[in-house]
This record gives sequence, structure tokens and C-alpha cells, in this order.
Amino acid sequence: MISEVLLSTVRMATPLIFLALAELYSQRAGLVHIGLEGLAAIGSLVGFLVSLITGSPMLGVVAGAAAGILTNMIFAYATITLCAEQIVYGMAINIFAPALAAFIYRVYFGAGSELVQVGLMSTLSQSLGIQSDNFIVQLFLDQTPMVYLAYILVIVTVIYFNRTKSGLNYKAVGEYPKAAATLGINVIGVKYVASILCGALAGMGGAYLTTCYANTYVDGNVAGRGFIALAAVIFGRWTGGGVLLACLFFGFCDALQIRLQVGSFGIPYQFFQMIPYVATIVVLALLGMKKAGPKGVGKAYLPEER
Amino acid sequence: MEELLRMEHITKKFGDVYANRNINLDVRKGEVHTLLGENGAGKSTLMNVLFGLYQPTEGTIYLHGKPVRIESPAQAVKLGIGMVHQHFMLVEAMTVFENIILGDRNTKGIFINHDARKKEILELSERYGLDVELDKPITDIAVGAQQRVEILKALYRGADLLVLDEPSAALTDQEVEGLFDIMHKLTSEGKSIIFISHKMREVLHISDRITILRAGETVCTLNRGDTTGEELANLMIGRELTPSHYEKIENPGEAVVALENVDYDKNSKHNGLNGVTLTVGRGEIVGIAGVDGNGQSQLAQVVTGVLTPDAGRVDLKGSHVAQFTPNGFILESVSHIPEDRNKMGLIGNMSVRDNIVLKSTDTPQFSAAHGLFLKKKAIRDYALKMQEKYDIRCSSIDQEARNLSGGNQQKIILARELEGKPDLLVAVHPTRGLDIGATRFVHDTMIEARDRGCGVLLISADFDEILEVSDRIVVMFEGQVMGVFSGKNPPIADISLAMAGK
Repeated sequence: MISEVLLSTVRMATPLIFLALAELYSQRAGLVHIGLEGLAAIGSLVGFLVSLITGSPMLGVVAGAAAGILTNMIFAYATITLCAEQIVYGMAINIFAPALAAFIYRVYFGAGSELVQVGLMSTLSQSLGIQSDNFIVQLFLDQTPMVYLAYILVIVTVIYFNRTKSGLNYKAVGEYPKAAATLGINVIGVKYVASILCGALAGMGGAYLTTCYANTYVDGNVAGRGFIALAAVIFGRWTGGGVLLACLFFGFCDALQIRLQVGSFGIPYQFFQMIPYVATIVVLALLGMKKAGPKGVGKAYLPEER
Repeated sequence: MEELLRMEHITKKFGDVYANRNINLDVRKGEVHTLLGENGAGKSTLMNVLFGLYQPTEGTIYLHGKPVRIESPAQAVKLGIGMVHQHFMLVEAMTVFENIILGDRNTKGIFINHDARKKEILELSERYGLDVELDKPITDIAVGAQQRVEILKALYRGADLLVLDEPSAALTDQEVEGLFDIMHKLTSEGKSIIFISHKMREVLHISDRITILRAGETVCTLNRGDTTGEELANLMIGRELTPSHYEKIENPGEAVVALENVDYDKNSKHNGLNGVTLTVGRGEIVGIAGVDGNGQSQLAQVVTGVLTPDAGRVDLKGSHVAQFTPNGFILESVSHIPEDRNKMGLIGNMSVRDNIVLKSTDTPQFSAAHGLFLKKKAIRDYALKMQEKYDIRCSSIDQEARNLSGGNQQKIILARELEGKPDLLVAVHPTRGLDIGATRFVHDTMIEARDRGCGVLLISADFDEILEVSDRIVVMFEGQVMGVFSGKNPPIADISLAMAGK
């Protein structure tokens, strides 16, 4: 049973990792993005459609990323170029994008049609033709390429922010954009790059849900993961490694609630469903007081401000 | 000496306001060239033009005799111009080392080569005597050390011309000495420095040449040897400065406020009041002298109704005060110039106009039905009148208050607090951070209020200011009144002893 929960943890944590990395890249450039939920929703639908049409879940993920980037350009243009309030536009993305996804779904399939199903991305062991009930083999090989990609991205992120010149400059934009500008760093450029990365990662996180996790699209399938990812970034103290641990923790909570639902004796399953969300609230309440994020987050950058 | 930089006919406009108008400046190799001017004279604007942060509306910049266009800070850095801003441009969450190498383009590779970079930085720091701890986060080092990091940052980028924007403002006297040593070392190695300041003593000490700016224009450039502090001060404010000639009053009218044995948190030596007895009469200025943090702040808050005393009696215009609320005191015509104008005196994000009428929005002059509907036109007309009367320099009365210079912010507060003809004015550090001209204006305004019959309680850590305007001097030490002295021919020695608690 424990091995089952752990396997499930990995599956549940993966979309969170993509979404949390999206948030991390956005916040490190000073853009707080509460619209991940919306980006993931559009990524999830586009990923589903493309994977259905082309028969390739891989292409679905790429398309999901592209959809995430496109949608996030609305946020980027409004908050970076027009210096609009980031929270307001994040919320706007949250309202607009899932509705757009639902709309496209209904236009494409017609109202009231039955659930369309799509083939999922094959796992590494399936591709290699290995069949085993061994827990270790299952944990390391019985995963989709998206899972490996998520962990590779975490490692790349850690190296990027801690070891490279470019990563240092990137962080400076989120901390103190004016100082970065006086050192010749292109603040606006970095913020747009951040928005592209954020859109792509959030779109991929969404696409994971319809190409690797469930074989169909339903409205609301992101189910608050965008907000949990936001919490994971705070919980993870704005570092790649911390974010990974936070996502695994939240993924574990999710896996646990699914397992407990199965074995529940008369307790309404909704109580178990609450676990990941309650865990989020508890964690934020414990950590929320010590704000340690990038100092320039949430503020617009105006080059000629007096 | 060889010319390094020449700025010719530089003009910079913000909206309709000229921040710089036809400014000329030339800097030679190896000299300290001071830009001297009051707050808002255009020094910082000129330097931001030089550093590519602002584009000049007109004018040309020559470096080594060749005209250049500086379109961004990155380009300025490439041309060998380094700037140490008044508010440091350091990323607090990063280490000294990270701040210095930030934005580096001169080295190859995508990864940071710690050892090689550190060696380079240490060489530089030894050569110029810039002692820093590379691995400490910025938040853990003192202000003086942060400044050294800023200078090192500029040198690391190959700066030949360093701009130091009011570098001594945040430093202790000892740190200032250290800074001057560094400046000497830099110029002896052939670097040029533009030094921005309005502290006369420092300017005369360190400069080779001095260019004076006034109201956005150049007045003249002088050699240090050919001038005196007095001449500079006069050129800077554009009129003769006369020493204190305020007439001191000896027979004040009846008491506006009287405190009797007032206690507030009396066991706290630095933030309390212990048995304070004090009166302020009509038409007199009572100056509270004392080292900062001996209960002055609490005294000001008790006599403006912000704090409620633990014991003792406070009478306002002859009647006993039972309830201490700021609004109650305002209704009794008590005005307050608070110690921190940005936190307590103004709402930075609101316009100059709104800040001026903030206290009187309920009056029939500015609103119908006690503040329910504002009379926009009346407010506007009034604010325009005050802008002129108090000489508040802003691009428009709709400008946000936080964007104004300190002196102009203080004038907004003066306009709001004094226009209602108060019976008692409580002024706390009213000239802190202001230049000579603005300080003079504040003093004149207080004397005017006094002559009208207003009682003034002046709290200041600036002893010269207390001597200049006070009719009576009260010394506070650890929450207690140590003595009361006449403001006319004050016994300075006795007052100093009292300030030390003797």
C-alpha cells in the first residue's frame, strides 16, 4: 500500500512541479502570477485536442506549451508594457482562460456529447518493453517522459539560478529592477522571457493532465493545482530544490487522499478530498509570516520614474 | 590637465518643468569636481542624463573631446562612467560578490568563475583601499561598506569617471573620513570624480573645482582656492544669508498648553515622560533641546492627542483635557508638523492638492454636508493659492506628493498646518533633511505664526536651530525636564550640561 501511495505521489506531483516552476520563473523576474490555473486549463484542452487529432501525446504537450505562451502574452503585455496590476490580470487569466477552454471544447464536440477519450503517453517501461512488479523498477521506469522532464527541469533551474551569470542577472530583475537596469541588464526583456517560460511550463503542466494523467478532458480538471503550485513556491522559499520538495509534499497529500477514499469506512469521501487543500492552508499559515520572496515582486517597472 | 568630460547646454524638461536648463559642465582627468546646489537644483537630474537614465531634451555630451549619445546605463558603463546613486543600487538578497559581478559582460562562458572573479576584485579593492567582505550578504554589512561595494562595482566595470551622488548623506563622520581617503586615492590614480553635495564643509575639504547649480541652471564654476564657504552659500541660494536676527520675545501671553507632572511609560528612559511640567504661551516659541530619543517624541505625541498620558494633567487653552484623540486636538486648533513627513505627515500616493486639504475636508469651505460631497473647484482654487503662497515647486498640483523634494513636501505640510491659524503649533524636526533655503523658509514661517499669537513647541535635535528661533529653551533628558533657559543670550554652557543630564 505504501508503494502504491508513493507511485501515485510521483504522478500527482508532476503537474505541480511544472506549474510551480512556471511560477518560480515568473516571480524571480518580479511577476507574481496568480493565473496559473487559467494557463493550465488552456494548456490542458489544447494538449487534449492536438493529441486527439494527431494521435501523438508528445505533440499535444508541445501544443499545450504553445497555448500557454500565447495566453500568457496577454498577461505579459498588460503587466510589463502597460504596467497594469499583476494580481488583477492574473485573476483575469483565471476567469478568461478556463472559460475559453470550455467554449472551444463545446464548439468542437457539440453540447451534450459523451466524453471523448484519447490515448495516453506511454511510459518508459512500455516503450522499452519491460514488465515488472518490482517497486523500484516501477518507480524509476514506469513513468512517462514528462516525469523525467520535470525532474530534469528542476535540476536545470537550480544550476541556472545558482551557477550561471545569466541566472544571477535574472534574479536581480526580480529583486531590484532599477539596480539591474543601471548595470545594463535588459529588465523588460528578462520579464518577457520569464513570461514565455511561465506560459510554456504552465501549459505543459496543464497538458500533462490530459496526455499522461487522465485520458479525457473535463472542465475544471486543473482543480486548484495552479494555486497549490503558488503555495509550493512560497513553501519552497523560491528555490528550485525547495519547490521540488514542496510539490512532492503536496503530491503526497493528494495521493494519500485518493488511497484513503478507497479504504474509507463510512466517512464521506469529501473529507479526504480536502487533505491537499487543508495542507496548503496549514503550510501557508505556518510560513506566511516570514516573507522572503524577491523584493521587486508585484511592482511595475517604469524606466524614467523620478 | 586634460579634459575628460564636457556637457554642453544640457536641458531636460519633465512636462512643462525645467529640471535642467542650459547647463554646462566640464571635468578634467584626476580631479574632484563638485556639483553644489540646493535640493531640487537639478544635480541628480543632470547626473541621470550623464548616466543614460534620462535623455536630455537638448544639449551634447563630449567624452575625451568626442560627442557621444548615452542612451542607456549600459552604454554609460561601456564609456567608462560609473555612478554611485544616493539610494544604493544593491540587491539586498545577494552577496557583495554577486552584486559586483552582476550584469558582467566582459568575461566569457555561461557559468560564474568564482575564483578568477574574486581574485580580480580583491586586486582592485587592495589597489584603492576599498575593504569589503565578498561573501557577506548586503543586508549584513554597514552603510559605509555598502558604499564601498558600490564604488568597487563601478571600478570593476572599468569606470574612469565616478559620480558620487550625496555619498556622505548616510555616513557617520568616521565613515566620511574613510570615503575621502578613498577619493584621494582614486584621483591620484588618474580617475575623475563628480561629487554631489550640499554640505559646505565637505565641499571645501575635498573639491578641486566647484560648479554651482541653482534652479536648474549653472551659476558658475570656481576653483576651491578662490572661494569661501560664505560665497558658495550665497551663490547657492542666490541671496545674502544673514545670521540669526529673529527678535526674541520675553513676555508671552496666557498659556495655550500647560502640562503638569505628566507621565508616560515613565520607566522607559528613552521613550517615556517622567513628571514633565511645561507651558507654552501665546506668541512664544518654546524649543525642546536634547539628544534625540529622550522623550521628545512622546512629548509631541501627548500634546497632539496621539498618546494618552499615564498620569498628570494637561490643559489646553485653560480647560482640562479629558480625552486624548488627535481629532479633539485638531478641533482645538492644534497643528502638528510630525517628525517623519513621509510616514506621518503626508500620503505619498495622493496629490499635492489632496494633501493640502486633507485636514479640512469636513468643513463647509471644501465640502457639502460635512464631507459627503467634495467641492472640487473650491479645493483646486485653494490648492493653487497655497502652491503660490508657500512656493511649492511641483509640475502640477495633481502630482503625487512622494515625487517632490523634501523641502517641497515640508511646504505642503506647512500650508496645511498653518493656514488654519492654529493656537498651538507642534513642530518636530521641521527642517530635518532640508537645504538652507527651505530651512530658512520654515523658520520664517514659524516666526510669523508666533507673531500672530500662536504658541509654538519646537522639538529639534539641531541645537543651532533651537538657538536660532526659540524664545525659551527647555532641555529634556531621559524623559525629564532638566532646565528652562531664556532664548535671549542663552547660556550655552549650562544648556549643554543639562543636555548631558547634569
